[in-house]
Amino acid sequence: MRPQFSIIFFTTLVGMAQGLLFFVALSNLYSQATPNAFLTNLVLPVAFILLCLSLLASFFHLGHPERAWRAAAMWRTSWLSREVIALPALMAVTVLIYFYAHIGEVPQWLWLALLFTTVVLWICTAKIYQCIRFIQEWSHPSTLTNFILLGLGSGLVLLELLIILWGDAAAKFIDTPLSIVSLLLLFLAFNLKLWIWRRNRGLKPKSNLSTATGIKGSNIRQTSMGLMGGSFNTREFFHHQTDRMIANMRKIIMLCAYVIPMILMAYALTSPSAMIIALALIINYLGLLAERWMFFAEANHPQNLYYQRVS
Amino acid sequence: MSKTNKQLALVIDLNVCVGCHACVTSCKEWNTSGSAGPLTDLNAYGASPSGTFFNRVQTFEAGTFPNTQTVHFPKSCLHCEEPPCVPVCPTGASYKRKEDGIVLVDYDKCIGCSYCSWACPYGARELDQERQVMTKCTLCVDRIYSETLPESEKKPACVLACPTSARIFGDVHDPESAASKAIEERKGYALMPEWETQPANHYLPRSIMETIDAARNDK
Repeated sequence: MRPQFSIIFFTTLVGMAQGLLFFVALSNLYSQATPNAFLTNLVLPVAFILLCLSLLASFFHLGHPERAWRAAAMWRTSWLSREVIALPALMAVTVLIYFYAHIGEVPQWLWLALLFTTVVLWICTAKIYQCIRFIQEWSHPSTLTNFILLGLGSGLVLLELLIILWGDAAAKFIDTPLSIVSLLLLFLAFNLKLWIWRRNRGLKPKSNLSTATGIKGSNIRQTSMGLMGGSFNTREFFHHQTDRMIANMRKIIMLCAYVIPMILMAYALTSPSAMIIALALIINYLGLLAERWMFFAEANHPQNLYYQRVS
Repeated sequence: MSKTNKQLALVIDLNVCVGCHACVTSCKEWNTSGSAGPLTDLNAYGASPSGTFFNRVQTFEAGTFPNTQTVHFPKSCLHCEEPPCVPVCPTGASYKRKEDGIVLVDYDKCIGCSYCSWACPYGARELDQERQVMTKCTLCVDRIYSETLPESEKKPACVLACPTSARIFGDVHDPESAASKAIEERKGYALMPEWETQPANHYLPRSIMETIDAARNDK
């Protein structure tokens, strides 16, 4: 598939916001841990900006963004439609928490609602890809797990950065444990990614030229795809990159999305500083962009069987 | 999704298709001229032209010399009985008509997200670059129900254009239709049966290789 930059930015930004909100909700359900001023001045505005940016990015994916409101209609059957509902729902809960934190105490049910909507949005986003049964790289529960783990990882690093920036008052309640959890999440996500790549390498395509054309006989090959200058089919479903580019991209992903942030977070365990954590977050995010790029590039669509030969 | 009473479809005879692309050009001519808007061509006279087509003819080879065969293979939307492109559409712009099983796109509702094209294993859908809506074969729904065309022309443009009658149009749920009989008698098959989309369009396999083999064995 062609990597879709609007979706790459959407899924990574919204994932980070979800991770951030998930951990804030979790820590507040566990104990009223975060000071209200920390929430209203830093955490919630940052999360809301990330959500808005991701929403903005998603509009660039549409041929007719002015009709985007129509996309909420088919929630009974379409995961994309459900996502279109879940994202504004998450934004609404975030705003509601902001107001409660502003005037007094945030009720427990609202933290539960926040936890719930972040998870629901993850499911909707991942299911959009996972439910396409003939893209075998996507059609596996690891798609959802990968989205969740990477979102949690980047969201937690962001939360740590915000805590450090806020200063001592907030840093008291969570510090070392958070760094350990973020390290663990990145480690889990890294192993999952390696496992996904191994699975993708071993995939046997269910479709081949024989099932795609029904032509009897061996050694079927295409001599013409019926067009010479390219079409939607040759643009949308191929990444048009060299094998070398793909191999280099894998190395960049391993280093930036996982290994370097893990090293930096380990370093931050002993001597936490805003600089180190900010660096970890930026490098991790660049790695996530590459990871999501690869998510599209390594997905093989069966329609490509029909588009193999220009003549 | 329950099966529709009527299911209009094309049955394509690979024995007689000569790969002339008359179905491609007649489809383009009819469908670019309608009220739904043009099938855009970009850079039409340049080095790499690109345009929207509902129908393409591809060519495949099979076998090893000297026992090779060349197969011309027309390809358009298969109007699946279980169309995977329909439930994924977030706006309801993609739909399957209950009355005749044709899968259509409502261009006024389409937001151009391309998700349906990802969900079609056959690559039957093309996003129009200028109109930015998803387009696909309509089985010439505006021809076959036309109130002004003579009865003999109420067929998809590609069917009328085919010089070798390689395209049979009809209701594949009616066992008496020419389309159903062709599928039944000549072992019509569906593409990529492994995804259980139940395409309504069928293809009639080439029998020429069997004939050649039989002739060889006789000697």
